[in-house]
Amino acid sequence: MTVSLPPSLLATLPGRFYTDPSIFAVEQERVFESMWFAVARSSDLATPGRFETADVGRESVLIVRGRDGRLRAFLNVCRHRGAKLCVEPAGETKRQLQCPYHAWTYGLDGKLVAAPNLTKMPDIDRVEYGLIPVHLREWLGYAWVCLAGDPPSFEDTVVGAARARLGDAEMINHWEVDTLDVGRRIVYDVKANWKLIIENFMECYHCATIHPELTEVLPEFADGYAAQYYVGHGAAFAEEAQGFTVDGSEGFDRIGGVGEEQDRKYYAITVNPQVFINLVPDHVIFHRMFPRSADRTVVVCDWLYTKEVVAGGKDVSRSVELFHRVNRQDFDACERCQPAMSSRAYAKGGVLVPSEHHIAAFHDWLTAKLA
Amino acid sequence: MIPVCALADIRPGEAVRVDGDPPISVFNVDGELYAIDDTCTHQDASLADGWLEGCLIECPLHASCFDLRTGQPTGPPAKVPVRTHEVVVQDGHVYVLAVAVPVTT
Ligand code: FES
Ligand code: FES
Ligand SMILES: [Fe+2]
Repeated sequence: MTVSLPPSLLATLPGRFYTDPSIFAVEQERVFESMWFAVARSSDLATPGRFETADVGRESVLIVRGRDGRLRAFLNVCRHRGAKLCVEPAGETKRQLQCPYHAWTYGLDGKLVAAPNLTKMPDIDRVEYGLIPVHLREWLGYAWVCLAGDPPSFEDTVVGAARARLGDAEMINHWEVDTLDVGRRIVYDVKANWKLIIENFMECYHCATIHPELTEVLPEFADGYAAQYYVGHGAAFAEEAQGFTVDGSEGFDRIGGVGEEQDRKYYAITVNPQVFINLVPDHVIFHRMFPRSADRTVVVCDWLYTKEVVAGGKDVSRSVELFHRVNRQDFDACERCQPAMSSRAYAKGGVLVPSEHHIAAFHDWLTAKLA
Repeated sequence: MIPVCALADIRPGEAVRVDGDPPISVFNVDGELYAIDDTCTHQDASLADGWLEGCLIECPLHASCFDLRTGQPTGPPAKVPVRTHEVVVQDGHVYVLAVAVPVTT
């Protein structure tokens, strides 16, 4: 940057970082194909043979539950001549994964189990020519995959993000997120670069302007400091709010492990590069971002509640509605910014005010990755 | 007689394939042994790699099932039966009689 800024301001990234397909391609490689990426809710793949496919970086990844009950991930590519193995986003197979081209057939563990003329080619090793495995870890009830040959430490980069925000490695366990059920899932197709969504989620300078319902429940958000600005800070509910709901009406019982200290508070965590987690006493809101192109990002948002709430058919609509509105308000704002990213006015980028200065750390993190 | 393997080496629900011309597979269905030609009559697939359910072996490639007792396919795409063979167990060893049993239709 050639222009020097007054101390109150820090520079954002230049506009082209949000529009240039070649920068997006480098991000795919160095960020999304190199880091842990939350792809699927484990309970959506509850039984052997259930599978999902997802684009992670530039690769299609297949996640499938094996006969032994284990989740595994593979590159979704046939080892014969490269046909895409599973084309559906999700489904169930009885026993095996079969390529629709020449019928190479793989077990749920990825091993090549059959192929036309296979016994006449005894030199084909069935593991060597099985599906190519992708690293997979389960945490908080999600399957996280990493396409890197040698993945970064899951403890440092994923669990560590929660620890850094909450100031305590154990605290997130209080929400027992892996035992919760999906009460509602909403998929948002956002016409904006993934970084606009992360940056938006990291600050609350916009809260008083675009989130009337949220600031009603969390009055301190009107001051513009997001929960991500602090370590270990939960934003207190308004005196008159009985629960984290669109009208401040009562929520549900606290999740088992959530104690007095976390009652009537809201915590938020960003796990770079594609997960946002919001924790309130009676539910968890879990966002997964799937970047599609420089100007398009699909966001899958799960509202997670205890089994009693979901199986009991309790009405979750008032808590879903609160954050659904917040999401819409945020994504509308991101979509408003996206076209301007290619404007001359934004060629050198914009500025961050003090309550947004922590976003500069995200930019530093990203530019170091791309360097 | 074609030697196959020790009786203990062919566990219930599994198959042992004997390479030959043509290859033959012996299946253990809850302790009962059955031998058939290993190659599916639709395309060249090894039925020993298939899925055993009761007395039916499902081809791993296009899911035709063959009845191990008769060799008959239960449905398409395979139309032609596989040959069945007699199994002999002697002194803890499994053998298949080289002479094929004629196909029963
Ligand atoms: S490309 Fe998959 S079997 Fe040929
Ligand atoms: S090869 Fe057996 S059914 Fe096609
Ligand atoms: Fe917001």
